Amino acid sequence: MEYVGEHLWIGKLGNIFVILSFVLALLASVSYFFASRDNDDAASWKRIARISFRAHGLAVFGIVATLFFMLMNHYFEYEYVWHHSNKEMPMRYILSCFWEGQEGSFLLWTFWHVLIGLILQRSAKNFEAPVMTVISLVQAFLASMLLGIFIFEYRIGSNPFTVLLREHPDFANIPLFKSENYLEKLDGRGLNPLLQNYWMTIHPPTLFLGFALTVVPFAYAIAGLWKRQFNQWLKPALPWTFFAVAVLGIGILMGGAWAYEALSFGGFWAWDPVENASLVPWLTLVGAAHLMLINRNEGQSLFTTFFLSILTFILILYSTFLTRSGILGESSVHAFTDLGMSGQLLLYLLFFFAMGMVLLIINWRKIPKLKEEESIWSREFWMFVGAIVLLVSSFQIIFYTSMPVWNKLFNLNKAPLKDVVTFYNNWQLPFAFIVTLLIAVGQFFKYKHTDPKQFIKKMLLSFVVSFVFTGLFIYLLNFNKGYYAILMFSSIFATVANLDYIIRVLNGKLGKAGASLAHIGFGLIMLGVLISTGKKETISHNTSGKSVESLGEDFSNNDNIVLTQGDTLPMGNYYATYIGRRSEGINVYFDVDYFTKDVQGNFQKEFSLAPLIQMNPRMGNSSEPDTRHYATFDLYSYVTYVDLETINEKKEATADEYVPAKNHNIKQGDTIFSSNAIIIFDSLSTNLSNENMQLSEEDIAVKAHLRVLDVKGQTYAATPVYLIKNNSVQPVASKVDELGLQFMFWKINPETGKIEISVQEKKSNIKDFIVMQAIIFPYINILWIGCIVMALGTLLSIWERIKKNKRTSN
Amino acid sequence: MKKIHILLIIIIAVAIGAILTTLNNTSTYADFAEAMKEPESEFHIVGKLNKEKETSYDPQADANLFMFYMIDNKGLEKKVVLHKTKPQDFERSEQIVLIGKMQGEEFHASDILMKCPSKYNDGKPQASN
Repeated sequence: MEYVGEHLWIGKLGNIFVILSFVLALLASVSYFFASRDNDDAASWKRIARISFRAHGLAVFGIVATLFFMLMNHYFEYEYVWHHSNKEMPMRYILSCFWEGQEGSFLLWTFWHVLIGLILQRSAKNFEAPVMTVISLVQAFLASMLLGIFIFEYRIGSNPFTVLLREHPDFANIPLFKSENYLEKLDGRGLNPLLQNYWMTIHPPTLFLGFALTVVPFAYAIAGLWKRQFNQWLKPALPWTFFAVAVLGIGILMGGAWAYEALSFGGFWAWDPVENASLVPWLTLVGAAHLMLINRNEGQSLFTTFFLSILTFILILYSTFLTRSGILGESSVHAFTDLGMSGQLLLYLLFFFAMGMVLLIINWRKIPKLKEEESIWSREFWMFVGAIVLLVSSFQIIFYTSMPVWNKLFNLNKAPLKDVVTFYNNWQLPFAFIVTLLIAVGQFFKYKHTDPKQFIKKMLLSFVVSFVFTGLFIYLLNFNKGYYAILMFSSIFATVANLDYIIRVLNGKLGKAGASLAHIGFGLIMLGVLISTGKKETISHNTSGKSVESLGEDFSNNDNIVLTQGDTLPMGNYYATYIGRRSEGINVYFDVDYFTKDVQGNFQKEFSLAPLIQMNPRMGNSSEPDTRHYATFDLYSYVTYVDLETINEKKEATADEYVPAKNHNIKQGDTIFSSNAIIIFDSLSTNLSNENMQLSEEDIAVKAHLRVLDVKGQTYAATPVYLIKNNSVQPVASKVDELGLQFMFWKINPETGKIEISVQEKKSNIKDFIVMQAIIFPYINILWIGCIVMALGTLLSIWERIKKNKRTSN
Repeated sequence: MKKIHILLIIIIAVAIGAILTTLNNTSTYADFAEAMKEPESEFHIVGKLNKEKETSYDPQADANLFMFYMIDNKGLEKKVVLHKTKPQDFERSEQIVLIGKMQGEEFHASDILMKCPSKYNDGKPQASN
């Protein structure tokens, strides 16, 4: 059959780029390998290598451009385009569509590697050939993830250009493809609504740039070991490593900000496996970067520096494996599904791991080591301790996160803990304490040897100030978690001591204060995390007065409030009113007004929040929070449940009908609730002879007397009758038309004295309501300020380092 | 003994600690039968929603109470009382993991994890209007 309107040429073009990028990366790798050897041919190999890497770069740009073109023009005949985009979507999300799928995210990663490689070609000088050998090899591996070819039944990579929707095995027999005009009617599946958020257009590229940058210290470390230039690689690798620290750090924090702004996790960090998988390499990277600093100055801990630089990249690959293999499926909310490439990923991981470890082992004896032991009063000793603490901390995180892997490997059946957050917090707190303490004192130590008396004298002021501040904070915030208080002290200490260093030691010269600023930022981040999560308060307790009957005391989960339209309920220091819902596009907003009460008891409107639910019939609805930001706290709220169906019915003409009955088993004196009234069961009476019921001797009739109180305190009476007539139950209903209620009396249980009453309400009675959660995060701004300060400080110190490198090499 | 050795011993001790606490955690995936044997312990139970039977959620009476029937992987069905709000898209879930304890014939869950492959994978090409 000839299909109408397909654009098969562009797929062919894209596929050519894919193949070229793979072949050229291989060629670059091989020729750089020969170029790195010390012989006459090296120079000509280098020419070939340079050209092939640049051509590889062009091919990668070609792939990117082609895929963008396909997405922008809605070529839904391609599975990737159909899968990740649709026609309605705003253009600004095209970027997100691009990297939503695995193929696109690998492409993004490859793209950054190309840019990094092109810079290194110019700047690496003597190291160009060995470093670029490694990077080109990594590129060849990544490019193969896009190949989508079969070798002995095993598919290598997944290619967005060759998989046509109508040929996809899942959709082979769909009648739609029997029509040659199928494209006219086809729309894409669309982007996951969770990703339709501005954070999602900047978070992945930043994170992937961070991932990509870790290849630089890795490649330099491999080059250093391979060419036996054990010290020389450190100087050029150092600024790159700190740049990677900055970018990966920003990327991770952006992920946190995204989770906070757009996901209803109830926070910015959930110790989710996907988050952990990117945090762990960052920790080892920070260790590696700091060890490089002391190496540059003193030539110590070289082996550990190699190890951490290599490990970081391996952990990046491992994290990719964890998130993309589907192995985390049960323990993570946002792991990717398997594309059948996990075997391939594992192979790459093992390849580069083996490469690093073999090189480390054969050079074990040759790597220079210090004869003497470091003094306990030296900066290098404590920086080494810090790096080791970071390593142990990351080991703990990754070991626990890898539980699904251990389950699979050793056939275990371990489930994740119910409260992983507390588990991780308790484990990580001592590590964080030591690290922040070291950050506080680190710069006050001198290399080689520090005079203890001088040291104590310099530290004393910040120590005392921090102590006072900690006490003050604990008192003012009523911070009652003793265990966390020690971290609060060390975080404040880290902030204050580094501030002191800038003021008293650097005399306020900000140009040299990059490191101190970054440390202040880190201290503030820890402080912000501690206060905002330690004192976080869920204020949405159920105050609606309606039954919160809990069946077990263990389960008193009382974090949700029911807000009925028009009602005003107290919530924390506020009073909240649900105003109503409104639709905008695929979003349904739920407007909630927040009031405070002034001295006279009058309500004063403070602000409105509109948490929303994104409707997507194909991918499921998702709830997004809305947050009110104040200088000292955030009020974060999101809708946990809303009835999206009955509300639409309500508006229709069926308002006079009754909704299905609700049954209640009650004793005399018991109270039951309807949406608009309280109903009290007062008594039963059997003397019904004077009523017009034509009862015979065998018939039984019992009347229940119900008192119905509406919200205004008005009382109504309802008297449903339990009637057995001619041996069949024929209850007589009783209505309270003013309230739209109808009561039926179904059963009497003489043993327990309970009766069964059913209550029916008119559809018009049912008011719109939402179930909502609201959380106060105090002083969360300290965290965000810390993030910015840390990023700026790190970038400043890199700038200084590059300037210094240039000066010394000239 | 060098300082580095002391450091090494501490590291190894902490690392072993990390391994042991990970492996020693008591929760394992189980089925209803196992949970019934030990009503005191908390279990993670994997299963599927019984879509034939009614689910019940009346947020205006109690927003934190949701009841449904789940069939575990061995085919045993139990009534589940979840002490949380009804999760979004509950009916679409393909697999459910419950965390909680058995109380008599009911399983009381304090938390729920749902696997909705639909979120990422579902949906077939359809003709739009």
